[in-house]
Amino acid sequence: MTTELAREHEYETQDIMLNMGPQHPSTHGVFRMVLTIDGEVVRDVVPYVGYLHRGAEKLCETMDYRQGIGFMDRTEYLAAFNAELSYVQAVEQVAGLEVPDRAQWIRMILCELNRLSSHFMFTGAFGTDVGVFGTAFTFSFRERENVQDLFEEVTGDRMMYAYFRPGGLAWEVTDNFEQRVHEVLASSRQGISDMDGLLSDNEIFLARTKNIGIISAEEAIEWGMSGPSLRASGVPMDIRKDEPYLKYGEVDFDVVTGETGDVFDRFRCRLDEMRQSVRIIEQCLQRLEPGPILPDRMPRMLRVPPGEAYVRTEAPRGEYGVYLVSEGGNRPYRLKIRSACLSNLQALRDMVIGNYIADAVIILGSIDIVLGEVDR
Amino acid sequence: MTNDGANGDGGDTEADEAAEREAALARTIWADVDRALSGINASPEPGALDLIVTIPKAEVVRGLRVLKDDEQLNFDYLRNLTAIDHQADGITVVYHLYSTAAKHNVTIKAVLPNGDLAVDTATTVWKAANWLERETAEMFGVRFNGHPDPRALLLPEDMTDTFPLRKDHPLAEIEALQGEGMAYAVEEE
Amino acid sequence: MNNDLFGFEINIWLDAAARMGLITGVMTVVVMGLIYIERKIIARFQMRLGPTRTGPMGLMQSLADALKLVGKEDLRPAGADPWVFELAVYFVFVPVFMMFVAIPFALNWEVRVLELGLFYVVAVSSINIVGLVMAGWASDNRYAMIGGLRAAAQAISYEIPLVLALLAVAMVAGSLNLTEIVAGQGRVPLIVWQPLAFAIFYIAMLAEMGRTPFDIAVGESETAGGPHIEYSGIRWSMFFLAEYAALFLLCLIASAVFLGGWAWPLGEDLGRGWQFALTAIKTGLLIFSVFWVRVTMPRLRIDQLMSFSWKVLLPLSFVQILVNGLVLVYDWPDLLLLATGGAGVVLLFVVIDRGVRRPRPRPAPLAAAESEAVA
Repeated sequence: MTTELAREHEYETQDIMLNMGPQHPSTHGVFRMVLTIDGEVVRDVVPYVGYLHRGAEKLCETMDYRQGIGFMDRTEYLAAFNAELSYVQAVEQVAGLEVPDRAQWIRMILCELNRLSSHFMFTGAFGTDVGVFGTAFTFSFRERENVQDLFEEVTGDRMMYAYFRPGGLAWEVTDNFEQRVHEVLASSRQGISDMDGLLSDNEIFLARTKNIGIISAEEAIEWGMSGPSLRASGVPMDIRKDEPYLKYGEVDFDVVTGETGDVFDRFRCRLDEMRQSVRIIEQCLQRLEPGPILPDRMPRMLRVPPGEAYVRTEAPRGEYGVYLVSEGGNRPYRLKIRSACLSNLQALRDMVIGNYIADAVIILGSIDIVLGEVDR
Repeated sequence: MTNDGANGDGGDTEADEAAEREAALARTIWADVDRALSGINASPEPGALDLIVTIPKAEVVRGLRVLKDDEQLNFDYLRNLTAIDHQADGITVVYHLYSTAAKHNVTIKAVLPNGDLAVDTATTVWKAANWLERETAEMFGVRFNGHPDPRALLLPEDMTDTFPLRKDHPLAEIEALQGEGMAYAVEEE
Repeated sequence: MNNDLFGFEINIWLDAAARMGLITGVMTVVVMGLIYIERKIIARFQMRLGPTRTGPMGLMQSLADALKLVGKEDLRPAGADPWVFELAVYFVFVPVFMMFVAIPFALNWEVRVLELGLFYVVAVSSINIVGLVMAGWASDNRYAMIGGLRAAAQAISYEIPLVLALLAVAMVAGSLNLTEIVAGQGRVPLIVWQPLAFAIFYIAMLAEMGRTPFDIAVGESETAGGPHIEYSGIRWSMFFLAEYAALFLLCLIASAVFLGGWAWPLGEDLGRGWQFALTAIKTGLLIFSVFWVRVTMPRLRIDQLMSFSWKVLLPLSFVQILVNGLVLVYDWPDLLLLATGGAGVVLLFVVIDRGVRRPRPRPAPLAAAESEAVA
């Protein structure tokens, strides 16, 4: 199969093209990559995205500010709260709205819970990529379901929450919110250690993930990676710490970093990050006090003065940025969504080449893409 | 919130405005950026969150390179790259930079006049610009000279004559094309 | 030859046909049962319920699936090689059922007592690889081709430790006749004397069946079904039938050869009912363990899988044969077999543990391709 072997024996060998996706069990949606393979070894990979492009940016320009919230949910559908947060914060920034404390704490709780549910989705899907027959998936989904139930109680929807508003929240949370969050945290803690027990110490899992798909810190920064995928390479870049928004400056948590930047570190980082999220939520619950959830005088129709802001928040997959340009009026002049997955995905080629087909699958899984966010 | 100064509404005199602007700029990293960009014709503007620097399009990539290589500024991370269609005033390409070490931001803008929608590629500075430029190119019809992989990213490969994010690209007509009776009433802007 | 299956003498050909018919019929039911049980067991592992709606406790689910599969259109890709594509199924299906000829379910309850029963089983079991390669090649699908080639590479590699492990047992048992091997384990099952051979056999057995963690040929997340990808309806279900029949069969062999089949611990004196029950319990436990491994283990990569076979299992099985030979020739005490075998099992686990924890440099593309050449 190798060229040397072929030359020695005068075989003729040929690389073959393997089209993976957009309909393939492990491309996490409608992602497509064309692999050039020599036997089992990947020589080249060409990623294709755009199958889920719905023109969210263009649509937002034609809708008023409140309608835009719904589109954010539909881009990053696994962490919709974090997506909404970037958007409403951008609007608040340009419009000069002050958000009441209670709304900020609730936003933080929901965003961190969303990080939990999103990372549970990752651990489950990643387990399946590595080849565990559904067990990681069901264990993860048990926990994700708990979080999702809580979201449903609060917002009335399981995925497309549309709950944050420029200035605060759409409505007050349920009466037993704090108790429910405590319950969810208890089960999530169990779920995290379950995933640890199921995967982290498994010999085959280690053999599959260690030293695979390494990307160095410099390369990761160069490619504009962010979130756990970047931190796994040892770069302690976390917007929650570096440029605190909401009340992240007032809570205590650690930025989890990896060492080598391989697939295992990316898995490990996410798992540890979930523990930090639990820590953050606990602190938020202690600080949560009754109060208003919207500024006193909110106009019925939000009109935003001219101005621009690029607001970035730390979503589960990395930096979710919203670049909002307003020329006055009730709708954005230009709205650009900076997708963490799109930038992370760019680095895929560097990570995959030279590895096996099976590795390509888990490397893609370890970046944890959401195609809704990539294609927008 | 420091989104004043830029629009300058109200009855302030010009001198007040200028003083306010200076004060706002002094709170940003403009002094450092100005030092690094010496020789490049850059004009600052204090933004809501980050400093905004406008650089002529011919010099923008050189400016980006300088900002990246400068030891103190060290903008090693390209956060975002996009464009804004200002219709008659051309298209503005916007770069959002970040320094992972110094943890500061800057926004770089370059205005492309309508007749010449082309700028040098920033992929020579950051690899991260690759897909972002591809997206910007297909959405706005901006040409990035020297881009290593100038294919469409999100749109179909044969869709080369339509630039959906331009303001003159109508949404409703496209919707109307999708089927009889599905047309939206065209909204008055 | 025992011809008392039905309690009276009949024509030998009729007898054979009747036995084969019985096996095929029973096996189909057993496979349907196995699929139901697997789904239920895996569901329990995964905090689900499994089938519940079809019949009482979902018992009819397999039947419903079978009916559905029979009713589905039998598709063949336009670019497929029609003959090879359609024949491939039989090359997988028939050998598995041929293996049943030599399996002793209870004393004097087998299709035929073959003097070289073990040899026959091993020989026939390797034919189905041809079927998988045919399916992979003829499907005109690159996933199928990769899957088929993977299956071939894997099966050839693991066939050798499998056979050597059985050979080691045969040395100790002193026979290749499965009935005699089982009968000889009336007091002590052979797993006691040959723990290492059992470990090797068990691992190689998982690989032969293409079960997790060795399911690289059909792994959904990579080859999306491998050789089966283009098959539908009845042909696909025959692949499935063969897979589960092989699972049942290899576990039967393991229980007969290593765990004393129907003989241990109750001996030959008890009635057929007890013997059947013993065989069923031992086989059932093994099958359960296979399911257990399936739901908890990730999949190996092809190079790891190959090097594990060639670099770990194969040398260990040679050592086992060498030790057996020395013990038998020089008439050393049997306990030595137990000691060396136990040490071998410990060594196996140490090797596995060391192997995965050792930091490995990223494989250079060319070097990686080199090790691939073995495949």
